[in-house]
Amino acid sequence: MSARAVDPVERAGGQAAMALPAAFVTFFLLIPLALTIVVSFWERAGFKLKPAFTLASYLEFLGGVRLLVLERSLVAAAISTAIGLAIAYPIAYYLARHVRRELARSVLFLFSVPFLVNYVIRTFAWTYLLGRTGPINAALLATGLTDASVDWLLFSDFSVQIGFVTSYMPFMVFPLWLSISGIDRRLTEASWILGANPWRTFLRITLPLSLPGIFAAAIFGFVGAFGDSAVPIILGGVGYQMIGNSITSTLDVLNYPLAAAMSSVVIVAMLALLGIWFLAFDLRSFLGKILRWRV
Amino acid sequence: MLFGQGISRRTLLRQSIVSAAALPLITRLSSQALAATKGTVQFADIGVGDPGGDWSKYTAASGYGVNLVAFGNAPSAILNVLIAGGGQGTYDIINIVGGMQKPLVENNLIDEIDTARMPNWAKDSFVQKFLAPGTPGFDFIGYDNKIYGVPTVIQGDSFAYLPEATGGELTSYGALFDPKFKGYVALEDNYTTAGQKTALYLKAAKLATINDPHDMTPGEIKAVVDFLIEKKKEGQFRVIWNSFEQSVGLLVNKEVYVMDCWEPMVFVANSKGVKAVYAKPAEGYLLWAMAAYIVKNPNRSKEQTDAAYALLDFMLGGWYGAKITSLRGYMTNPQAVDYAKANSGDFSADEAAKVEAITKGVEAKLAQGGTWQNRWPTNVETYESEWARFKAA
Repeated sequence: MSARAVDPVERAGGQAAMALPAAFVTFFLLIPLALTIVVSFWERAGFKLKPAFTLASYLEFLGGVRLLVLERSLVAAAISTAIGLAIAYPIAYYLARHVRRELARSVLFLFSVPFLVNYVIRTFAWTYLLGRTGPINAALLATGLTDASVDWLLFSDFSVQIGFVTSYMPFMVFPLWLSISGIDRRLTEASWILGANPWRTFLRITLPLSLPGIFAAAIFGFVGAFGDSAVPIILGGVGYQMIGNSITSTLDVLNYPLAAAMSSVVIVAMLALLGIWFLAFDLRSFLGKILRWRV
Repeated sequence: MLFGQGISRRTLLRQSIVSAAALPLITRLSSQALAATKGTVQFADIGVGDPGGDWSKYTAASGYGVNLVAFGNAPSAILNVLIAGGGQGTYDIINIVGGMQKPLVENNLIDEIDTARMPNWAKDSFVQKFLAPGTPGFDFIGYDNKIYGVPTVIQGDSFAYLPEATGGELTSYGALFDPKFKGYVALEDNYTTAGQKTALYLKAAKLATINDPHDMTPGEIKAVVDFLIEKKKEGQFRVIWNSFEQSVGLLVNKEVYVMDCWEPMVFVANSKGVKAVYAKPAEGYLLWAMAAYIVKNPNRSKEQTDAAYALLDFMLGGWYGAKITSLRGYMTNPQAVDYAKANSGDFSADEAAKVEAITKGVEAKLAQGGTWQNRWPTNVETYESEWARFKAA
């Protein structure tokens, strides 16, 4: 079968259609990112910036406490991503396999309802719920489960993870549901016919085939938590910081090269994670499912 | 200190809701602005300098309206808006917590103030009393022996406590570090407020050698932060707060009993039925002032500059001062008390009494002294990096 000849006008139209998003990405994403990286090597001269090539800002970042903040940010985001996946996957699986598609869509819509409320306000609500005099502690005391308020419910790693998971887990359900619902049911039926039990079928068929969705969900959850700056401030207690908070702090003393160096390291770290994702998984296998579903 | 870390999103949202609720008022005031045929002064403010949206007295006198725009107080926010955000061409006046002259002047962002153009300047005895050249207070309005800011608010900060929980009156910043209140203490996330108050305490208690809490050496800052880290590791602090709402919630929900904060938070807590007290510490207060700056704009017309000066002069006057004191709880200028008492049409007897009490209270704080906050100390970067060490510890 011969390939259809592409009409030059159609090709030109396609290129023109691509020009706008390409220009948008270039001007509003690539150029600012490039400038950030360039400024990270500059020097400060009073309140001005002086073009140069110095690693001073990187050395200050990598040699100080801010590196600990980066490490903590990576760990906290990874933990919240893992917790989010552990919660979102069963929900998505159930919706994809055991619920009618119309009902599943309604339930998925419900997952988006919390986002109608400003997320800072939602986060503030946790301080009331988890506080020493809040309803959860009141219930624990009333039921006799504790004889004093449980302090670690708020202003702790626990409360930060609550904030992250409730903020970003709903985002993770959508790609997981999409991925699982796109798996050909004949494959799982074949596994059953060949004698595999449900657990083995899940491990050998469903889980591997839903990996693109898992990684898409992981990216959504990880990037959201990693870049969050409100949850640590509101729920984190004594100085809990994510890297975004630390970058903001350096901007307060107008140390733009240091802020740029920190941002550049973060960008590189995130690009590395995305690179691993693209290398390990064929993005088309996920996007193809989206296209099929939309059709 | 107000909005030490910039206006939070929640604050912004709340202000938006309040603004929507105030639409009828805005409509009325808009008609006043329309009546101001000569033009409009663009006034950026951090949320303290708004006299309830009522600029009618200024408009009647000058023919100009005032367009008040919310503005962040963090140094980076201020500079970014003025330099990168086109703020120099947009705003005539910015009203922020003072002490930012060094970065603002050295970046050529504000004009020197010609005090002779403001008749009320000479009547403001607070300037000579508390903000005179050669004193730490001058750093809130001046730089390099020149005046750049017009003082709109003067205040002294300490800390708040819940007397029913603490078991009585607290009269020292030592309460913030007292093991008796372990786990029930909150600090502000700001090295020039919490850091300086800690330094004031350490110096008074002779726990560290600190020459001047107003402008510490790197070694002194390190000593302060080492002390704070030690206390943090002992579990002394419950939280470091970042916004007005958050800190009010801590008091109202009795999450903490002792809190380094601003006095208006106590007013709000009291209004919600919680008995909170603003301490009168023996070590003195963290003193500070707000300053209104004229934004440097070579393209501004002479008439517009005149209108900006007229607005600054209005802000030094009795009506505006009394209004801000009444609304915000901060001392403003010496004419405020007499104006409130003499103009019962504008201020009720209760409001006049409140203005007088607040003014006398702050004057007493200033008389006692303490340390003037330093928003841009000599070693500001060491302050920031050491504070980052405290938070990361």
